[in-house]
Amino acid sequence: MSSDHILKSYDEELNRLQNTLITMGGLAETQVASAIQSVVKRDSELAAEVVEGDAQVDQLEKEVEALVVRLLALRQPMARDLREIISALKIASDLERICDYAANVAKRSIALNQAPVAKPAYAIPRMGKLAQILIKDVLDAYVHRDADKAMHVWLGDEELDELYTSLFRELLTYMMEDPRSITAGTHLLFMAKNIERIGDHATNIAETIYFLIHGKPLKETRPKRDRSSSSVVLSGPNGIVSNESEPPEA
Amino acid sequence: MSPEPLQMQPAATSAAAPPAATTAAAPAPQDKITIKDLRFYYKKYEALKNINMRIYDKRVTAFIGPSGCGKSTLLRCLNRMYDLYPEQRATGEILVDGRNILEPKVDLNLLRAKIGMVFQKPTPFPMSIYDNIAFGIKLYESLPRSELDDRVESALRRAALWNEVKDKLKQSGLGLSGGQQQRLCIARAVAVRPEILLLDEPCSALDPISTQKVEELISELKSDYCIVIVTHSMQQAARSSDYTAFMYLGDLIEFDETETVFTNPANKRTEDYITGRFG
Repeated sequence: MSSDHILKSYDEELNRLQNTLITMGGLAETQVASAIQSVVKRDSELAAEVVEGDAQVDQLEKEVEALVVRLLALRQPMARDLREIISALKIASDLERICDYAANVAKRSIALNQAPVAKPAYAIPRMGKLAQILIKDVLDAYVHRDADKAMHVWLGDEELDELYTSLFRELLTYMMEDPRSITAGTHLLFMAKNIERIGDHATNIAETIYFLIHGKPLKETRPKRDRSSSSVVLSGPNGIVSNESEPPEA
Repeated sequence: MSPEPLQMQPAATSAAAPPAATTAAAPAPQDKITIKDLRFYYKKYEALKNINMRIYDKRVTAFIGPSGCGKSTLLRCLNRMYDLYPEQRATGEILVDGRNILEPKVDLNLLRAKIGMVFQKPTPFPMSIYDNIAFGIKLYESLPRSELDDRVESALRRAALWNEVKDKLKQSGLGLSGGQQQRLCIARAVAVRPEILLLDEPCSALDPISTQKVEELISELKSDYCIVIVTHSMQQAARSSDYTAFMYLGDLIEFDETETVFTNPANKRTEDYITGRFG
């Protein structure tokens, strides 16, 4: 925040809002990290902790909502203050979704731990690592009001999309080769999709930060590399082949 | 008067778009008042420093800024209220429909009939509600009684006061509530059929309900008049104006569409002021 308001209590309320959001961000980082760990280490106890921890995030989101409503009603914020407050509401909602996805990954890891080790599981930590970096960087961008860093995250999600698309194909192939792996493969597929969605929410937050700083929405279209919706894996005389049709222009 | 390209139209409006696509159904604003190099002095103190701006017809323009920024002074220039005080003077030009009203030969009575003003405190004359309205009309026109009655009624209707006073037109205007008195003053200003209405903090002495009635009135009147309002309430400026001018220490700091000024102002001082950071 640039300088202080004449009314100190206004600053205090804005600071409280920001601190609640930062706490929420920290929790989201931990939830995602633990969820990934629970897959890597096949640790069902840790996974259960992540699932339980989700309630805390929901509680923090409610706190942010209450603070925002209060500020809007009592302070009639203008200009940058208004953007701060609206942005907090949007970011809180994205963080809450990120944590939901983390909890989903954790739930599936409990199921996955009951099946034999599936080979392509190695790609999950890679995607997880990338998603964690995106969350960390976007939260840093928020704390430091750094639009460039937010843009970096916004563009960085492309890599996560690419990883997801290649894992998608790999998993389909794996399941076709060995139908016994379908249970594990399906869980892994959903996990990968959840992590990919986490990246999308990180880019939403990046867009919000851009709006917060510049006062206008980001107009460019983000490059997207999630081509899984057009990927096909076929079993034929030449073995299993995967190809990818170009998605129709939107 | 030919409408020149508008300074304050957002640059983003592309050439391909229809001209008034942004302001739904409203035709593009026309200049009513053009202020050029306006400086104003109280003795030697320069209260307005080289003001240049356009005020549009059939729009509400709000002047905001901290105390002493010159917003009321600027409003008082628009109908030469300062002429009452020998040690106050203005230089530069204020063109109303292309004619410079600062020229000495301008007839001030006619000017003030064309440019009505309503003050911070309601100032009804100590006479009946009817005469409060009829007084101004009689100064400029001699009308038969029935026509005068019509004019009084239509002015009171315009000011959304008719239903409240139609049964007590002979009673004193001083017996009305503060909000009613202020609307009576607006009716009085409207009765002489001005083209421009100047409102100097018209709601600062009113309760919230009366304030809303006056704001509703402003939004109805703007279809016929060029309205300029000075207000201390930023919410009021945000709610009721189309354009907002932010002034500080005699300078015009920022002038733009109200929505822009209150959501994404270009100048940091404007932003600090409207967000309550001004010391």
